Amino acid sequence: MFGSFKVGDKGKIIDISKVGRMVQRRLLDLGITEGSEVCVKCIMPFGGPVMFESCGQCVGLRRKEACLIEVERV
Amino acid sequence: MEIALIGNPNTGKTSLFNNLTGSYEYVGNWSGVTVEKKVGVFKKNIGRLIDLPGVYSLNPLSRDEGVVTTFFLEEPVDRLLNILDASQLERNLHLTLQLLEYEKPALIGLNMVDVAANRGIQIDTEKLSQILGVSVVPVVARSGKGCDRLIEVISTSSSHSKVKKHVYYGKAVEEAITRLSIELIGKTDHSPRWLALQLFEGNEYVKRFLSDIVEPARLESYISHLESLLIQENIHVKSLTNYIYLKRKEVIEKILETSVRKVNTVVPLSEKIDAIVTNRYLGMPIFLICMYLMFMLTFDWLGTPLSDVLDGILTGTVTTGVEKFLGAVHASDFIHALIIEGLIAGVGGVLVFVPQIFILFFFISLLEDSGYMARVALVMDRIMESVGLNGKAFIPMMIGFGCNVPGIMAARTIETPRERLMTILLTPLMSCSARLPVYALFVGAFFVGHKALVVLSLYVLGIVVALVLAKIFTKTLLKSETSLFVIELPPYRLPQFQSLWRSTWDKGKGFIRKAGTFIFTGSVFIWLLSYAGPNGLKVAMDDSFLAAIGNLFAPVLEPIGFGTWQAAASLITGFLAKEAIISTMNIIYFVPNDAGLQGLLSNYYTPLAAYSFMVFILLYIPCLATTATIYKETGSKKWTAFSMMYALFIAYVLCLVIFQGGKLFGLV
Repeated sequence: MFGSFKVGDKGKIIDISKVGRMVQRRLLDLGITEGSEVCVKCIMPFGGPVMFESCGQCVGLRRKEACLIEVERV
Repeated sequence: MEIALIGNPNTGKTSLFNNLTGSYEYVGNWSGVTVEKKVGVFKKNIGRLIDLPGVYSLNPLSRDEGVVTTFFLEEPVDRLLNILDASQLERNLHLTLQLLEYEKPALIGLNMVDVAANRGIQIDTEKLSQILGVSVVPVVARSGKGCDRLIEVISTSSSHSKVKKHVYYGKAVEEAITRLSIELIGKTDHSPRWLALQLFEGNEYVKRFLSDIVEPARLESYISHLESLLIQENIHVKSLTNYIYLKRKEVIEKILETSVRKVNTVVPLSEKIDAIVTNRYLGMPIFLICMYLMFMLTFDWLGTPLSDVLDGILTGTVTTGVEKFLGAVHASDFIHALIIEGLIAGVGGVLVFVPQIFILFFFISLLEDSGYMARVALVMDRIMESVGLNGKAFIPMMIGFGCNVPGIMAARTIETPRERLMTILLTPLMSCSARLPVYALFVGAFFVGHKALVVLSLYVLGIVVALVLAKIFTKTLLKSETSLFVIELPPYRLPQFQSLWRSTWDKGKGFIRKAGTFIFTGSVFIWLLSYAGPNGLKVAMDDSFLAAIGNLFAPVLEPIGFGTWQAAASLITGFLAKEAIISTMNIIYFVPNDAGLQGLLSNYYTPLAAYSFMVFILLYIPCLATTATIYKETGSKKWTAFSMMYALFIAYVLCLVIFQGGKLFGLV
């Protein structure tokens, strides 16, 4: 799960369907969907957003949404 | 010839627009700088270029994206100029394929080839052009490299794509497209294939458009029938939208295979900077330090000394010069007083603050251009979330520091209507540059030792009040609805001095123009009100019409520390434009010698009353232009009235607490 990831961890998205519809669409716009590789760059304190890199771009996403994304470690 | 400029957010469309048309539109390094379409004329006069907000797809999610879809459905366009970010080709091509399905002559500008090359991405433009069937011109929009060639290609060869079907969507979809197309023949000028595909993808705007031609129930049955068919046939397909996306993706992967080559990659500088500015613990302090430095430079180190020099010139050289001239042409007493006590005092009083305003604008431009803006949104998201907003709402607020009007417009990029409305309502609480002269004047008179700190406290107060109100609004007026926060963090760019200066000048010239027009006429009017009274012309100031109007409201202001008719009168003019407060004060407290307004103010205000006055100015009402923008953006008289009423209420209550509370604690 994405929630357990630490800065520098890498993974591959295997299921994104639990995330809200709008967030899913936005991530898809950025080319991020099942099969995309992600690398956690930074985690904000006090339950703040996560910043990760995928497809050569950096994206910020709320932690609770990130936790709904199923990710497999690579 | 109408040429539409379209591409993903933050791919340099507006930079290119400025280069191709020679105009100067607002440029920044984050997604969502352009929120409405802008029209310019090509340098060589070959046609009109239309700059559109950036979109990832023609199927919109937020208001600014809707602008693009509406444009495509309703306005005539002859050619499409699609800008691609060479370093993000894969995701950019999804839009390109949709544009080619639109079946209008198209042309591709491949931007940021330099950035891509730095990342080890090499693109074979010939190959790309061959596969897509349209011309591909590499450009660097920031420096203008390749723009001449682009203009040349636009004016000569831009034509329909030589390839007819870029994507084959499979038998079921293709058949549905054909069937729907037959129903649409002769009823619309748009490509039926494009309309059908957008409908299948779930584009609400296109659905509404088609509802006028085909019965809505029939459209629904097309979609549901096709979707169930696809899900039956393919187990891995989740929805029609997803299926279409995957089909395009397959094609894009093939395109990339043949036209893109990746060589060894290096770690971009952005990541190293990000490790610091978005650091867990340092992020917020760094942001506050940046703000503090900005205010120190604006008020203490650089801005105030420059303003003083300008003030010296205006009250000294210019005034004596004009007086000599007026004496030489034997101007009447009335004209003499109008020009010296009305115009020079009113307009000059505002112009004195030009250096400070420009320094502030310079920093805002720096913030926008470097890519730090999106990072601030990320850093602020946790706080914003706790009050029912999201980090993106902080961007309009930051822009609001320059001027509330573009700030409110920038709220269009916020996806959920509730958060957008809330951002629109709260942005006026951000202290705009027009309020800055008032602070500069008062801190100069009362808080000489702590100028920057006192002003910073006002800016922070504006933010804090906005956050508290957001929390209250979330709990009461604007409940429910989920909030959404996905933000793209653009790579940092080293700001170029030239573009920074242009951006600063562009924002600042508005201030100067306003001083020359609005404040100019306002000053004449206010001076006349102070010159005339119920008992005729040239009355003592206390017997003038202005005093009579001010006195109506003065008693109400008594409990918050400034119950004078002068304060009341300047607050009324402040609704027209916040700078007008300064003009009015300069006219009312006109001092012929060089004792200056600052010295005189201490007769009317105590430091505590002065602080209370500044807080009141910060919050009391959105100016006329802002009110008009709120109305335009919300389309609701109710919310517009609300934005004025709540501000007045909060300002009064807060000043009451500050002034009466301060007195209790023995402050004066």
